[in-house]
Amino acid sequence: MKLHWRIWLLIIVLIICALLIAPPQLLFQKGVVIQSVEKNSTEYNQSLRSGMIITSINSMNINNVQDYNSAVSKIFTGTNESIKITITADKTNFIFFGNNQLNILVKDISKTRIKTGLDLSGGARALVKAANKTLSESEVNDLIAITNERSNGYGIKDITINSVRDLSGNNYMLIEVAGATTSDLQDLILSQGKFEGKIGNTTLFVGGKDISHVERSGQLAGIEGCSETSTAVVCSFRFPISLTEEAAQRHAAVTGNLSIDPQNPQYLSQKLDLYLDDNLMDSLLISKDLKGQVATQISIQGSGSGKDRAEAIKNAQKEMNKLQTILITGSLPYKLEIVKLDTISPTLGREFTKNLIILAVVVFVLISLVLLIRYRRIKITSAVILTMFSEAFITLGIAAAISWNLDAPSIAGIIAGMGTGVNDQIVIIDESISNMESSLKERIKNAFFIILGAFFTIIAAMLPLFWAGAGMLKGFALTTILSVSVGILITRPAFSEIIKKIMKE
Amino acid sequence: MEQHTQTTETKKSEKWFDKNYKFLMLVPIMVTLLCVVYLGFFYSQNHGFILKDVSLSGGTTVTINGDIDVQKLESALSQEYQGNIVFRKLTDMRSGKVLAVVVETSVEADKIKADIEKVLGFQLTSENSSIEFTGSNLSNNFYNQLVIALLISFVLMSLVIFFLFKTFIPSIAVIFAAFSDIVMPLALIDFLGIRVSAAGIAAFLMLIGYSVDTDILLTTRAVKKREGTLNKRIFGAFKVGILMTLTALFAVLPAFFIVTGLPDSFRQIFLILAFGLVADIINTWLTNVGIIKWYCMKKGIT
Repeated sequence: MKLHWRIWLLIIVLIICALLIAPPQLLFQKGVVIQSVEKNSTEYNQSLRSGMIITSINSMNINNVQDYNSAVSKIFTGTNESIKITITADKTNFIFFGNNQLNILVKDISKTRIKTGLDLSGGARALVKAANKTLSESEVNDLIAITNERSNGYGIKDITINSVRDLSGNNYMLIEVAGATTSDLQDLILSQGKFEGKIGNTTLFVGGKDISHVERSGQLAGIEGCSETSTAVVCSFRFPISLTEEAAQRHAAVTGNLSIDPQNPQYLSQKLDLYLDDNLMDSLLISKDLKGQVATQISIQGSGSGKDRAEAIKNAQKEMNKLQTILITGSLPYKLEIVKLDTISPTLGREFTKNLIILAVVVFVLISLVLLIRYRRIKITSAVILTMFSEAFITLGIAAAISWNLDAPSIAGIIAGMGTGVNDQIVIIDESISNMESSLKERIKNAFFIILGAFFTIIAAMLPLFWAGAGMLKGFALTTILSVSVGILITRPAFSEIIKKIMKE
Repeated sequence: MEQHTQTTETKKSEKWFDKNYKFLMLVPIMVTLLCVVYLGFFYSQNHGFILKDVSLSGGTTVTINGDIDVQKLESALSQEYQGNIVFRKLTDMRSGKVLAVVVETSVEADKIKADIEKVLGFQLTSENSSIEFTGSNLSNNFYNQLVIALLISFVLMSLVIFFLFKTFIPSIAVIFAAFSDIVMPLALIDFLGIRVSAAGIAAFLMLIGYSVDTDILLTTRAVKKREGTLNKRIFGAFKVGILMTLTALFAVLPAFFIVTGLPDSFRQIFLILAFGLVADIINTWLTNVGIIKWYCMKKGIT
């Protein structure tokens, strides 16, 4: 059968979209994908990273999360012995020893590339701006870079940070995290992270500015030892930092004026006080050998506690990471304010997603019935249904291609788009079946005048939503515009050819 | 014979239409005026054209999963919050199951969370509940911007219409219909005491785009095409237009009668679209039709 190029175009676009939504490599991909790896764990040091796909553990094939869980429980039987583990991820073997569990989180590989928004998949979201200050675009980008860096140190996983701009030119930072709680987010955002080293009232160095290097791991950085009290275990850590020349000179000048502590003659009379966000965190004794010295390397100490040794080590490790991050990134020159903070339960989101799919099917069936009753012709009705389906499908394909997170307003846009799409097809059908005085071509041209008019009014109406309200309703505008554009460029021309064919018969 | 009765029937209704279209045209105009007056009154009472929900006025929405005892919550919290709290159930109509209970208030998230936990006797976690907080500065900003967006939308739509028809009267007729399509649902929403969310305002924008296609159809058929009589062309457009609006309604109504367990933002979009589509039926097929017929008669387009 000879088909018009417009119909071919539709077929090709549909195939491309099918590949975009569910790429074959995803459909047949076996294994589990790593969601996150505990920082500084053995697994992390072995370069296992989030996003890698695990296909086997100790020669046991892993096809899904169940396989993974049963493999892990087979390997670790609770004996706390050191066991050799071989993980195959991304076709590479990672070999290490472990004794009670794996410090990684995994999930099943998604079979499609369609992503749902926070309101449907659950998670936490914060919209942040500077208090009493309008951020410029570059300031927001700096803020995002710093926050990204910090989120690693704070142990928050699966985070996406974007800048959003609204109609009045305000710039915001939008942070979305799957799985984290709002208190994690608040911690991350609201601690300004001003780190200062002071002797008396003189500031020796400030995090970010006066520090040229922070030793994050290696022999000199890490947990030093733990001490037990009756109720808790406290573990201390230390890591060296390098000061800039300028800060080291300041150190020399200040310590030069200090005397030796008569009670404790190994040390100087004043301590080096470390402040985090103006809270005294630790006071370090200064060795008498450092008096008046241009010291460029300083050792920072701190501690973490927990109810048992494992927990204390974990917390100390976490504290150390936080501190290191703050020392590297420095503090923000302004206070932040959370203007919107949401946590969405994944449970309800799943229910919503299910209902939205059912709703789309119901709408589909109802519209088909109405058209079948009106036209009483299976061929015409099927053509409309096919077109309606194609529009929604291509819109989803584009959403997958640009990694758009489909939230509830986005899906409302797709369904509303289906409604307008049908309207246009009704106009085409009507022009084709009525009014036989002019040629079919002429009549379809008439129909396209109306369709184009309706198209441009929808675009005009939706455009301002891209910016209004910090882009929170962008999804609605985007999917509506996408689906009407897909309609006008791809599906409607093909539909008119199909109708021409049906009419000729 | 049957054919004959049909033609006389058509002729009769055509005659009736020719005689009464000017009167019919006035009905939606009067309704629109009434709505505008009502909105003016509403504005003077509430200092705004809508009742804003917390996404536009600032505050917290707590959604607790499952069938929670709303009565217990209401009786425990109503007194302390003094009308500054709204309770709502989210029910799935097919199963009759209560999916969640929604609590809205203007206070900060931490306070209402603690208060609800005290009444219910369990912790609200990210597994069993959702908590959304919007600061009042941001929400005011949201509101103002969405209103500006609505105005921009309307202006852009008007420009498109003028560009499309390039004649004053038919364009104004379409634009007036779009205006009424917004004003009527707005007045109805206010009258029903529904609190409008940010998504709701987005729905009004959508309405601007969604409702004018039947008007474009009518105007194009009546003014641009010269086949058949004017009344025939109008009646043809009417048949198509009604089917269009009907299918659009079938796209938005199931969210209220068949599948109801949906996010609030989503359902409000569809509710406003439904109101607007119904308004559009009378605005297009009474007012716009009248203006266009009048215009065509004057211009000698028959």
